[in-house]
Amino acid sequence: MKPAIRALGIATIIIWIFLIVFAATAVYSVMNLDTDFREAEFFSSSNGIVLSMPFFINNNGCYDISELNITTRIVDSNGTFLTLSGTFIPIVSRGSRVEAAHNVSIESSDMTEHMELLFEDSSFVVDASIALKFANIVPVKMSMNMSVPWGAPFSNVSMGEIFHLPFNATHERVVVPLSFENHSFFDLAGTMELEIYNDGEELVTSGETSLDVQSQSSYNEQVDIYLSLADASKLTETGRARLIFETTMFTVEKWIPYD
Amino acid sequence: MIEETSKKGLMEKLIPRVAKAALWGALTWVFAYYLPMLLFPIDLLPLGYSQFFHLFVGIIVFFAVVVKLFSGTIFEYAFSIARGLIMIIYFIVVLDGGILSLSIPIEETAVNLVVDLKAFLVILILVNLLGIAKSMLQATRFLAKKVETSQLSVY
Repeated sequence: MKPAIRALGIATIIIWIFLIVFAATAVYSVMNLDTDFREAEFFSSSNGIVLSMPFFINNNGCYDISELNITTRIVDSNGTFLTLSGTFIPIVSRGSRVEAAHNVSIESSDMTEHMELLFEDSSFVVDASIALKFANIVPVKMSMNMSVPWGAPFSNVSMGEIFHLPFNATHERVVVPLSFENHSFFDLAGTMELEIYNDGEELVTSGETSLDVQSQSSYNEQVDIYLSLADASKLTETGRARLIFETTMFTVEKWIPYD
Repeated sequence: MIEETSKKGLMEKLIPRVAKAALWGALTWVFAYYLPMLLFPIDLLPLGYSQFFHLFVGIIVFFAVVVKLFSGTIFEYAFSIARGLIMIIYFIVVLDGGILSLSIPIEETAVNLVVDLKAFLVILILVNLLGIAKSMLQATRFLAKKVETSQLSVY
């Protein structure tokens, strides 16, 4: 019986030492884990827009981090699903540094489906989760739910009073004062096409101007379009204007009444 | 006179035993509480878990003292078995069956953290079961020896 007791005692001591060393080094490793998200970048892709969040993980601990999976699910303030994105890193070995980016893409079709997001400020609900395996034995999952304000790129689009001035013997100049605010965190570059319809829904005239509006700034311009004298009578005091914004990221239109 | 002698004898036996138990308790406290606190500040643990840690230290110091106090008796093994069982229950309760869930407030957002420690819990239970098995064998050996001695004295 004595050897059995001794064997059990030795086994118990060895397992306790293993457990204590593992627990202590695991806590030490977590304390020495250096990770941070850098400033988010916004760029256009062939399908739409991409919000890129670069991050790094500096694993100064004693154990590998494997199967790192970052997932973000974005819904609008009404709970309507917008996008789901994931980033997978197979392994962050001990003593190594990994730099990656979590890309959240919103396709042009989704953008046009949620047109109101381009014209009205809102908020998004972001469900973010990070899953990983610590030391190949301990699965860890972190999740958070946060509300992120969304600034519309064409906020408060408004049209001032349209007036027309003589231009030459065949045309007159129609001046359309237009304004909007770019509340988004990306710059707008592209063109804006303007079509004027009279109260009979008949196209009177159209024109195009270039757009270059920085993030968090206002657009306040007078757009000049030309109207032949023969069509001048078609321009009524009330009607609608169709604005078509064409940028590298999306093409969107908006109707605005004028009087 | 006889009563006084037996009292003196009892005290002579008891004082070193109590001193040994107290010393053992103090040593256990140093290794289980003082040294880990030097390495890892308790602030690292969420509030609920710091209380669980104090309870853990309390349990192991208590059993270290009583096991030493009753060493050489059957109670030494009985308390060792009790310690093993209590530690198994303690680990299951504290580790929430192996799935540890915490909610950490960061600025205005609550971060939910789920750590799957089932493998770790299984090893903890296993090591305590080994401890219990060892104590049971020791108790059996102790009783067998006692029976042997009493039978030898009869013959």
